[in-house]
Amino acid sequence: MSSDVRFTDFKSDKQPTWCPGCGDFGTMNGMMKALANTGNDPDNTFVVAGIGCSGKIGTYMHSYALHGVHGRALPVGTGVKMARPDIEVMVAGGDGDGYSIGAGHFVHAVRRNVDMTYCVMDNRIYGLTKGQASPTSRSDFETSTTPEGPKQPPVNPLALALASGASFIAQTFSSDAMRHAEIVQKAVEHDGFGFVNVFSPCVTFNDVDTYDYFRDSLVDLQEEEDHDPTDYEAAKEVILDSDKEYQGVMYQNENSVPYHEQHGVTEDMSEIPDGAPEDAMDLVREFY
Amino acid sequence: MAEDLNWAVGGEAGDGIDSTGKIFAQALARAGRHVFTSKDFASRIRGGYTAYKIRTSVNKVQSVVDRLDILVALTQRTIDENLDELHEGSAIIYDGERSWDAEIPDEMTAVDVPLKSLAEEAGGAIMRNIVALGAACEITGFDVEYLDEALEKRFGGKGSKIVENNKEAARAGQEYVQENYDLDHLGYNIDTTDNDYVLLNGNEAIGMGALAAGCRFYAGYPITPATSIMEYLTERIEDYGGHVVQAEDELSAVNMSLGAARAGARSMTATSGAGIDLMTETFGLVATSETPLVIADVQRSGPSTGMPTKQEQGDLNMALYGGHGEVPRFVVAPTSITECFWKTVEAFNLAEKYQTPVFLVSDLAMSVTEQTFPPEAFDMDEVEIDRGKLVEDDEVDEWLDAQGHFRAHAVTEDGVSPRAIPGTTDAAHMSTGLEHDELGRRTEEEDERVHQVDKRNRKVETAQNEEDWDYREFGDPDADNLIISWGSNEGALIEALDYLEEDGIDVRVISVPYIFPRPNLTEEIEAAADTIVVECNATGQFADVIEHDVLTRVKRINKYTGVRFKADELADDITDKLTEEVPA
Ligand SMILES: Cc1ncc(C[n+]2csc(CCOP(=O)(O)OP(=O)(O)O)c2C)c(N)n1
Ligand code: SF4
Repeated sequence: MSSDVRFTDFKSDKQPTWCPGCGDFGTMNGMMKALANTGNDPDNTFVVAGIGCSGKIGTYMHSYALHGVHGRALPVGTGVKMARPDIEVMVAGGDGDGYSIGAGHFVHAVRRNVDMTYCVMDNRIYGLTKGQASPTSRSDFETSTTPEGPKQPPVNPLALALASGASFIAQTFSSDAMRHAEIVQKAVEHDGFGFVNVFSPCVTFNDVDTYDYFRDSLVDLQEEEDHDPTDYEAAKEVILDSDKEYQGVMYQNENSVPYHEQHGVTEDMSEIPDGAPEDAMDLVREFY
Repeated sequence: MAEDLNWAVGGEAGDGIDSTGKIFAQALARAGRHVFTSKDFASRIRGGYTAYKIRTSVNKVQSVVDRLDILVALTQRTIDENLDELHEGSAIIYDGERSWDAEIPDEMTAVDVPLKSLAEEAGGAIMRNIVALGAACEITGFDVEYLDEALEKRFGGKGSKIVENNKEAARAGQEYVQENYDLDHLGYNIDTTDNDYVLLNGNEAIGMGALAAGCRFYAGYPITPATSIMEYLTERIEDYGGHVVQAEDELSAVNMSLGAARAGARSMTATSGAGIDLMTETFGLVATSETPLVIADVQRSGPSTGMPTKQEQGDLNMALYGGHGEVPRFVVAPTSITECFWKTVEAFNLAEKYQTPVFLVSDLAMSVTEQTFPPEAFDMDEVEIDRGKLVEDDEVDEWLDAQGHFRAHAVTEDGVSPRAIPGTTDAAHMSTGLEHDELGRRTEEEDERVHQVDKRNRKVETAQNEEDWDYREFGDPDADNLIISWGSNEGALIEALDYLEEDGIDVRVISVPYIFPRPNLTEEIEAAADTIVVECNATGQFADVIEHDVLTRVKRINKYTGVRFKADELADDITDKLTEEVPA
């Protein structure tokens, strides 16, 4: 059914319970658009979600999906993609989910270059647990568990990705709907791990990193700066720039070869014979 | 039992002890003899004492005994560590030219062979162990031609020169002993037969079972003693279109395997001790999302990092109860190396038929022990695959609700729902670790919750009725004395029967391969005058479970030294226990 798929086909009939105005609405719409625009349909798509307000996304989308445990969405996505290179895999979670409890998996999914798209709804706070500091919270950001701020610098997820050997790094703003969808689409089209950090404001618990803040401060790399994402040095510069925050594709390795191709995995692993494989007795004779 | 020969090679870890032992074991298997091996090793790569022990006979051997006849000692510690098992007729092969002055008890036969010099003459000092094997052949009257075959198998890939040098080294050892010693009085003589045996260990059997059962994806994180399953699969799974991922940790490993399983692949992970702890959070997810997954726990000695290279059966409670909330699962525990193969096949079928996690619980002793079997013990024609309620495109309609949603967690009579894998038309759905309704959507509605919990638990009931959860039985079925065992103790128990018989003690042995669901042993225990549960842990976890099932106190034999049961020692323990009062 792929030719006439509309992005709303990826929407489930479950009403989101996100707070009105939550950035996650826009993030999700962009992901659905990107999937539809790239010719996917719900039957060939697998969405893996983390835990958090962000992780609820799997419930509101319509596709094959798994909503797992906190921080472990990327390994699940890796397993799906390895078993089924024919399936489009989209992974989503929050900044706490991805860069705190799941930080180890992030580094390794990036360096494996598994062919999937990872959208992190970065609201710089823990939304679902009602407003504690997250790894991307500013060092002076006051929360219930950090009354004087975390007093430690935030994680720079883009730099973490770059240092881990990422083949695609982008940042978007969920409220800039068209641009966000366009960039996620590039991530889906990318052969390898497409990482998109999505500023997705939490209107309930974060009064610093707000829509206004991002609207006023974000600089669009492609539309305003003529940034060439294939230029690694230029990418490094914008990713490590501590004065400004950018939207756009920071880096894309044009020679990226996804993990499953590097390892010669092409088969649909769900297909197995009815009994032991024909030459299975060879497995035994090996021990003779 | 007198026809048994017990042989060992020992030295420092890194001395090639393992491959030396394996070559000799293979030579014996080639000669149509039964072999049962065991390993002593420390958790260090260099500098630790390590030994490879072989018990061999023309009859089936399935246990270790407290006796060592021929010892190749590369260090004094090898002699010291084994003094208990050495006896007057033991021969100790050592290299007197080496700097250590071997202290060998007077009553034993010291066979001083210049291993290093002879090896150098044959082409390199590295072959000194092979010289020792040649010497061992001479002492035991074992035809070196079999050793030649094993050397060809081992070094064939490295070129004929290497093979020839090794054969020469073996001959040098053999001739040296021939010329310098007369050891006929020791009376060792290795008979051969025309039988063809395969020689493999429990982890290899699990890996082989996984491939036979159609496992295509494996993710794991290295940990002793589970790693060799991963190593086995890494070398072979690609021939079948599969793949092994070395994950960044066990949390990742189990979640990757879960992902592959949801995508429709038969998928597995394996770990031990600490790794099982890390995976536990995800067990609940596997169960609630109703994903078919095989999780192997090759137990080692805990808690914490415990004794990583030592035997224990201490994770039974973890496998039965690990995880928060109440998690339906199956726990299957192979009792022998062939069962490692067959129970792995069964685990994959159970996982898919009931869409649950299946724990395959093995242990260190079984994982490193090599044993000979006729190849028919792994007859692949007997392997059957049951993928359960996997729905095809044209079956999807039956499972749609009025709005056209696929009811992936449909509440059915048998508790098992239809399973649609990605790509199945119109069956897209989500699954979650959250409590959910039939569509997989989150719910906290009371009735839905109860329906889903009952549905998941009902799978266990269904399986209890439909599958065979029986035990294996040995010894005298009418004996008053009942011994119950699980896991790798079976072999030692079967051999203990012979010792007990010599003393006129009849016992009935029940070896239980299913921990959950498990056979109900009420009748058997009530019929027995005495019941003893044998296991390698300190607290008697299986005994607790049995007492709970049967509401009768049982006696316990627990070994937690880190070393597996030995047949003769176990026979003594049983004799002692039988005279003990039943606990109040
Ligand atoms: C192992 C574990 N620890 C803690 C939690 C509780 N928890 C749920 S969501 C969350 C943080 C979510 O933050 P983030 O990923 O930033 O997502 P957001 O809710 O902001 O979208 C935490 C700590 C959990 N579910 N599991
Ligand atoms: S708490 Fe914040 S992140 Fe969560 S739904 Fe509300 S606005 Fe969104």
